[in-house]
Amino acid sequence: MRDRLAVFLVILAVAFAVIAGLYYEGVLQIAVSDTHAAHHTTHAILFGVLAVVSLIAANFAREKTV
Amino acid sequence: MTREQALFMGLLQGATELFPVSSLGHSVIIPTLLHWRFKQSDPTFVPFLVLLHLGTAGALLVLYRQQWIAIIRGFFTAAVRGRITTEPERLAMLLLTGTIPAGILGVFLENRIKSLFASPYVAAGFLVVNGFLLLGFELLRRRAERRASLDSRTRAEQEEGFAAAERISFRAAAVIGACQALAFLPGISRSGVTIGGGLLAGLRHQEAARFSFLLATPVILAAGLVEVPQLFATGVPIGEYVAAALLSGIAAYASARFLLRYFRSGRLDPYGWYCIAAGAVSLVLLTFRA
Repeated sequence: MRDRLAVFLVILAVAFAVIAGLYYEGVLQIAVSDTHAAHHTTHAILFGVLAVVSLIAANFAREKTV
Repeated sequence: MTREQALFMGLLQGATELFPVSSLGHSVIIPTLLHWRFKQSDPTFVPFLVLLHLGTAGALLVLYRQQWIAIIRGFFTAAVRGRITTEPERLAMLLLTGTIPAGILGVFLENRIKSLFASPYVAAGFLVVNGFLLLGFELLRRRAERRASLDSRTRAEQEEGFAAAERISFRAAAVIGACQALAFLPGISRSGVTIGGGLLAGLRHQEAARFSFLLATPVILAAGLVEVPQLFATGVPIGEYVAAALLSGIAAYASARFLLRYFRSGRLDPYGWYCIAAGAVSLVLLTFRA
């Protein structure tokens, strides 16, 4: 059960990383203040951080072999 | 903006950022009452605010430098190990939990909310609301003290009956972090809602203030750093702005030291009454000035 949650969180991390890349490249324009900007750095950083946090959460969720 | 105005704004921002009285509210109301005509749409105004916030964040980093070293170490240790074993590790993960909702709401909502409510009248109104919120937090805290049969004890003994920041639950940390979004409304204090949230979560006043200041640092720092490229825009009087930021940092450091001492036995009530009075007086002055 815990490993399933860990796998889900890893998938979530990948999804956040992809969204971060799309915001940085200006492909995603959802909820941005300037739709003509080439890069949405703030949004990209946010989703990058969320990707890292999801990986940390996955590490907490996985079964430990102690 | 003249040099004197820049320095005054630095002092005002630094002093009011950590007091539970809304720095944004004060920086919207006071220049209007003083008939200062600088435009917040001016391209040099954002870099100015950026530097003021970096000054405040710098002051908090200096104040809590030892704790931040332990928190950062604890964060990496716990993240790699996948388990929390020490108090700094727990505090690091609590701060991360509190920062995420604030970051998400900040990126998606801050500019919209600020542009919707950026009026001195609205700021004065929300300052009154902030006052009632602070009084409400203390009302609920006094009830908690009565329930724990602490109401007949001295203030120091009452505070001993509550917890340190490291003992807060992760759910409470997330809720307190999300409450920071309320401070996008000019007049609602970020430190006020987070200290109040800490009190509701069962922290001592001083610990609620410490958690609030620690929680503020990454958010203020990140918001400042993201805007750093704007500092290199042409026409920015960097010397004056750096001086204002230093003043902001010194004021923030002094106010944090004062508040941590004050909250050993003090409550939020005086700040609540101040906000109600300042908001009401500002509303009257703004009405008659128009």
